[in-house]
Amino acid sequence: MKQKVKSYSTMILQLVRRLHITPVCQAAESSLLAKLRKKTGYTIANCKKALEMNNNDSDKAEAWLNEQAQAMGWAKATKLAGRKALQGLVAVKYDKNHGALVELNCETDFVAKNDKFQKVLEDATLACYKFAHTNLQSKGPITKLELDSEQLGGLTADGGKKLSEVLALFIGSVGENAILRRAECWKANSSDVKITAYTHPAPSTPRDYSTGKYGALLAYKQPNDVEDVGKQICQHIVGCAPRKIGDKDKDKPSKNADDETCLIFQEYLLDPSYTVEEIIQNNKLEVVDYVRFSCGEEAEEEMPGFEKQPLDTVQTLQ
Amino acid sequence: MATISFAKSLVNPALKLVLKQSQCSHIRCTSLPTLTPLSIILRRNYAEKQIFERNKPHCNVGTIGHVDHGKTTLTAAITKVLSDLNLAQKKGYADIDNAPEEKARGITINVAHVEYQTDKRHYGHTDCPGHADYIKNMITGTAQMDGAILVVAATDGVMPQTREHLILAKQIGIEHIVVFINKVDAADQEMVELVEMEIRELMSEMGYDGDKIPVIKGSALCALEGKSPEIGAEAINKLLEEVDNFIPTPVRELDKPFLLPVESVHSIPGRGTVVTGRLYRGVLKKGTECEIVGHGKVMKTTVTGVEMFHKTLEEAQAGDQLGALVRSIKREQIRRGMVMAKPGTVKAHDSFDAAVYILSKEEGGRAKPFTSFIQLQMFSMTWDCATQVTIPDKEMVMPGEDSTLQLRLLKPMVCETGQRFTLRLGDLTLGTGVITKINKDLSEDERLKLLEGKKAREKAAAKK
Repeated sequence: MKQKVKSYSTMILQLVRRLHITPVCQAAESSLLAKLRKKTGYTIANCKKALEMNNNDSDKAEAWLNEQAQAMGWAKATKLAGRKALQGLVAVKYDKNHGALVELNCETDFVAKNDKFQKVLEDATLACYKFAHTNLQSKGPITKLELDSEQLGGLTADGGKKLSEVLALFIGSVGENAILRRAECWKANSSDVKITAYTHPAPSTPRDYSTGKYGALLAYKQPNDVEDVGKQICQHIVGCAPRKIGDKDKDKPSKNADDETCLIFQEYLLDPSYTVEEIIQNNKLEVVDYVRFSCGEEAEEEMPGFEKQPLDTVQTLQ
Repeated sequence: MATISFAKSLVNPALKLVLKQSQCSHIRCTSLPTLTPLSIILRRNYAEKQIFERNKPHCNVGTIGHVDHGKTTLTAAITKVLSDLNLAQKKGYADIDNAPEEKARGITINVAHVEYQTDKRHYGHTDCPGHADYIKNMITGTAQMDGAILVVAATDGVMPQTREHLILAKQIGIEHIVVFINKVDAADQEMVELVEMEIRELMSEMGYDGDKIPVIKGSALCALEGKSPEIGAEAINKLLEEVDNFIPTPVRELDKPFLLPVESVHSIPGRGTVVTGRLYRGVLKKGTECEIVGHGKVMKTTVTGVEMFHKTLEEAQAGDQLGALVRSIKREQIRRGMVMAKPGTVKAHDSFDAAVYILSKEEGGRAKPFTSFIQLQMFSMTWDCATQVTIPDKEMVMPGEDSTLQLRLLKPMVCETGQRFTLRLGDLTLGTGVITKINKDLSEDERLKLLEGKKAREKAAAKK
């Protein structure tokens, strides 16, 4: 509130200053434009157009702008659609039995730091998290739903809008291309399977929602009487990017420890004197599955277990 | 005399290396007429190239702003307008936009580098696409910016992310910003005024002096196409004039107090001890009082003679590779890694904060991230020392990422804010950084703790 008052007062001050040099009638008009712009945040050109179309009636102009915003967002989104967007963030939201991992891309990392971007990402993640709670169930320990850009856009956000609409509004506002790239929604099918998640950089206090440049979901089994190291293993996955879990009998450790791509043979990130396998054994943990997103990575096909499936068939997956 | 020359010839191979790395190498070009092996190579490869004339002070500027507001067009327009005055080479839009091969290169990527000059100064012009790129460039020192031009389109006004652009400018220490309101040909007077008002307001909010910041209105596209000169070429000229006046010329290395990192020490019978190295900054004359600091020692002495390439020198300048004769100090007292400087200007420290860029695997770094308490070897100037790293605001640092790190040295070494260094692990270069803040020196207890292993740390933590 205080800030608002302050910004209004500087605005008035500057208006007064301009009154000295510009004719009074023009100042009145531009204050209308200034007010409308301040209030709605739409681009100056659009605010101007709105005022012109509505005979300088600011209420009507505002209504018109809000009405047009969606259409303008779509127009902008279509115009920018071909542009490369490889920056952005990955977000996770999880509880013991559910997890959602979402990647939202934009063109420059400046935008990724903006509050509006974070809001869109949070909306999308919550929508996926909710989606993970649906009744879909597959055989096996976990149900995995892999969504691509199109399927993601079809999900409904909290306000009842589709995610694709939310995204178009955002594109209209920042004037930069953005893509809801992909998402993973996980549900544990039995009570002994736990789900955890990690993003890098990690938030200073542990939370069930976080964002970062890298993110991973991990499903694991562990008896309750030992120390829970799921989070640490998940951190290791984010850090060391294994390609697959690896099978002790089938896979062989790589000659150079730094090139190791099997999770179980890798040196444990938090204590390189152990391998991940030793940590897993010592803590009686069993890795069921994991998925890792690195923001902006190009090779989707290389993701473990990434196979594009139409939404209605995912339930039969595994 | 002959022996001191002999000492010099020993140092010469090192000179080649230093030349390549040195930030002051441009300074030495003017003061080093002698043929070094490197200059021979330069001459062979670049024989047909123009010679860079150093007759104006140099200044680095960069453009910041929204992707669609015309940063690249403005850069192209500046070169076009100046090329008409014979002060720059005209660059097209495509030349400035990052070519794919630029991206494929090593650590000095993502910079569109353009040079031009006004009547007053010579400029290097930078344009980086993202926040992380700017930070990386600041840390590695590839494109230090002395000032910036903020580009805003009159049709759109201040965008939500303009705030982030200014946060970045603050973060990389840009104190002087000139605003260019672009695309005024597509807007009317009223809109332009409103944009100006918004920008001044936002700048004030971000801690700049919003009322005094120069704001120039024009159209880069008109200037590029040679249309309507009042908002085209004239606006560009006005912008450059403001850049000339508003962004101060950086202090040159020559004007700073002298500093000479010691590369090697020789004892010349009959004359005394000679310290050799490359003068990092300032000027050094015979008879200057100096202090030799490092490896836990501080010694005061006087320079009794300066020599370069077997010849006595009246005055050595920053960038010169020289030998300095020092009074009444034994060879054994001085070691490589110490620093000879104007008394009172340098101090040894062992604890500081730094902004560090960690190389990605493609850039020659490690594939794995690291966590706190990793022990690395730190190289800076001519010294190297084991250092313990803690990460204050993250749990780990990934390759290809920048981060703030707290570094603790096993013994105090000469450091100051702004000093650059490299971190290595075994035979790998892990990262490169710049010291941002010197912390309080370690106590004896803390120093002992540096040597403790993980087990001991965990034990201590459990006890608490």
